[in-house]
Amino acid sequence: MDRREFLKTTQALLATIFGSSFFSIEELDAMETSENKPDLIWIHAMSCDGCSTSFLNAEISLVDILSRFVNIVFHPTVMAAEGKLSMEILKKYEDTQNDLIIVVEGAIPSKELPHACMMGEEFIRDTIVNTARKASLAIAAGTCASFLGICDMKGMHIDAVSLKKCLEEESVDTTVVNLPACPLKPNHLLYTLFYYIKNRKTPPIDLMHRPLRFFGNTVHERCVYYNDFQEKIFAKKIGDRGCLFKLGCQGPVTKCDCIKSGNDYDKYNCIKSGHPCVGCASENFPRNILFKHYDDERKLEKYKDFKRI
Amino acid sequence: MKLTIDPVTRIEGHLKVNVEIKNSKIVSAKCSADMYRGLEKALKGYDYLTAIQITQRTCGCCPYAQAEAAALAIEDALQIELNKNAKLLRNMVIGAYKLKDYLLHFYTLSSLDFININSILKYNGNDFKMLEFKKYVLKEISSKKVFPSPLFTQKYKNVYIKNSKFNLTLIKHYLENFEAMKKAAEMVKIFGAKAPHMTAIEAGGITTRPTADRLIKYINLAKDLKEFIYNKYFEDVLRVAKYFKEYFKIGKGVNNFLTFNTLQNLDGSYMFVAGFSKDFRFEEGVEPYEIIEYNNYAYYKENGGYKPLELDDLHPVDLEEFENSEKYTWSRAPRYKGHVVEVGPAAIVINTYLSGKNHKLNKIVNKINSELDISIKDYNSVMGRHLSRAIVSMMIIDKLIEDALNVDEGVLGFTQLKKPPSNVKGVGLTEATRGALAHFIDIGENGYIRNYEMVVPTTWNISPKDNRDIPGALESMLIGTHIKDENNPIEISRIIRSTDPCLACAVH
Repeated sequence: MDRREFLKTTQALLATIFGSSFFSIEELDAMETSENKPDLIWIHAMSCDGCSTSFLNAEISLVDILSRFVNIVFHPTVMAAEGKLSMEILKKYEDTQNDLIIVVEGAIPSKELPHACMMGEEFIRDTIVNTARKASLAIAAGTCASFLGICDMKGMHIDAVSLKKCLEEESVDTTVVNLPACPLKPNHLLYTLFYYIKNRKTPPIDLMHRPLRFFGNTVHERCVYYNDFQEKIFAKKIGDRGCLFKLGCQGPVTKCDCIKSGNDYDKYNCIKSGHPCVGCASENFPRNILFKHYDDERKLEKYKDFKRI
Repeated sequence: MKLTIDPVTRIEGHLKVNVEIKNSKIVSAKCSADMYRGLEKALKGYDYLTAIQITQRTCGCCPYAQAEAAALAIEDALQIELNKNAKLLRNMVIGAYKLKDYLLHFYTLSSLDFININSILKYNGNDFKMLEFKKYVLKEISSKKVFPSPLFTQKYKNVYIKNSKFNLTLIKHYLENFEAMKKAAEMVKIFGAKAPHMTAIEAGGITTRPTADRLIKYINLAKDLKEFIYNKYFEDVLRVAKYFKEYFKIGKGVNNFLTFNTLQNLDGSYMFVAGFSKDFRFEEGVEPYEIIEYNNYAYYKENGGYKPLELDDLHPVDLEEFENSEKYTWSRAPRYKGHVVEVGPAAIVINTYLSGKNHKLNKIVNKINSELDISIKDYNSVMGRHLSRAIVSMMIIDKLIEDALNVDEGVLGFTQLKKPPSNVKGVGLTEATRGALAHFIDIGENGYIRNYEMVVPTTWNISPKDNRDIPGALESMLIGTHIKDENNPIEISRIIRSTDPCLACAVH
């Protein structure tokens, strides 16, 4: 592989993510030599690291992204620094004028229980608020940071808040882009980053701050079994032909592009693997029943009240 | 001198380590897990099958193991037998994920403790990726930016590998490893639907139908991955082990090792054996209800020692008590029959070796031991743990290919459960990437969970002191360690990372 070839593959990949040739090869080339790259700080709040792990699987490798398009300043899973030195990076950042993007993974502790997550002997909530204040774009990576996901279940004592809510509580007006899905889909993040790099503004988003490009349709609307649903052919058990609705499929109430995106990364998905959608990108995830027997008559309940997202 | 490392980066989650050094020796150590969610008790009132999807979300690095343990617990409660394809496919999903984790751990997370990344400047070959990387480093250095790329903020002086050719090989493999991990992730996705957080693992098997094209893809990827593991990963670990030979004596913890069964063979036996060894005397079989978790030093209002499923709720302490008590971590302190134990790949290798049940493993270990002039006792060390991961990886990849060839094409490896059960209990035991993992489920009326308990590998390893003030496994590894240069205490980082801590799991 040489340089030209590399730029070509990158361009092709971005074209599948954007649905059009968003960047010309010349633009990609110029981007790399530009001195004006935005900085990126990635912070783990109450997360499982799944979004970071998932991002390592991005089709454009992490090292390429790092060395060409954005300047990743802080990322706990890949950085060589540790302890005090890594915290100094965040401290030093408070005095610069660089263009900054903050990515937050995981839900954020409430004001009442801030000690539920700490980093560098500081409350992670404070670190996030201070960094986000300087940032021109805040990205909530994954379902927990966007809609709380598994960090907000009935019996929990933490009362965690989403990134958007946290910034509202602390009156920080940085725009938040929510990228739900558990784990984060690398393409969603690449899209948001590249859109920002090119236009210096957030991509078009819906009322829940999700990019319209990925969250305009439900999983159901694009499902391979949509015809079966129309014909009322329902699977009675896994492996049967037909729509998985009666097995507890959350596709009709979950907005995400799982089925639609046809590029390499997403060629596998839950429904193709025979399992009903568990609704991991939904604001109601997790419901009390995610997968059931077809004649099971227990009620699917929603618990979430949306006061904290 | 007191020293705090917070955050410990390049691990999974939030860890703080406090040590006290006197006369170049660590005299006390405290490991603090800094994140709490309270997942297991929040499962109460949810459907029993949600346990599989929700518990795997405790951890983005070893979700497969949580999913498997939850599925095993349900299968144990309902007395379900898996069919042939279900066993094989489940091995193929979790095995591939294990490999991805081992690679991630050695290259992405640990190798920066050994490689001198500046060696890249001496590169004069013609590999595209390496040249690009060199160009990038040169640019970074010449730009004199306030924020250098995180890859180059190496802190310690004079501790890295001095041989620049060796460094270059490792850097090359560090970069190649990203591709290898993607291959392993794709293997997981073929039958698991996505990675991390596979939906296809369910109680009863794997929901994906093993079609011929999926199988062929899987086997092809597995063969590529085998190449990488045998010729690059294993060789690199061996060379690093030779270079840092003194690390077979550093980071020795307690001599108690606990393992559970994993990767079932078709005849019902397992690849690695479950059991407990003390001072290198091995006893097969485990009694899961002999586990007790102590809370004296953990930030919970309940202070005692509790058996699995004994508590039906855990309450976090408030901010005032958090700041003014002896408690120092969110992690509880599990003990097996009263012993502090180490779990993980070193435990697998030691216990399986001592049992003598896996001849292939014993052969590999014997060969390495004579080459490096070490004994099985030296596996209880920093290098021993790295080496164990490489040995286990080689054995797993062989098994995956064998299993994939055994799958009956087109036959669904899944038995769907009928009515939701009432009033049953089950235990699921498995080996995760980081060691022995146990799930306990108590299903109440109509399929809803009454109580749930997870005892997770990293909880064993980074456990705080128990109620008798005996320090945990990682703490004991640190205590007594000789620090060569107090200004460059890299020994501490290397010991911590050798156990591959995963804090999201540990506290859950």
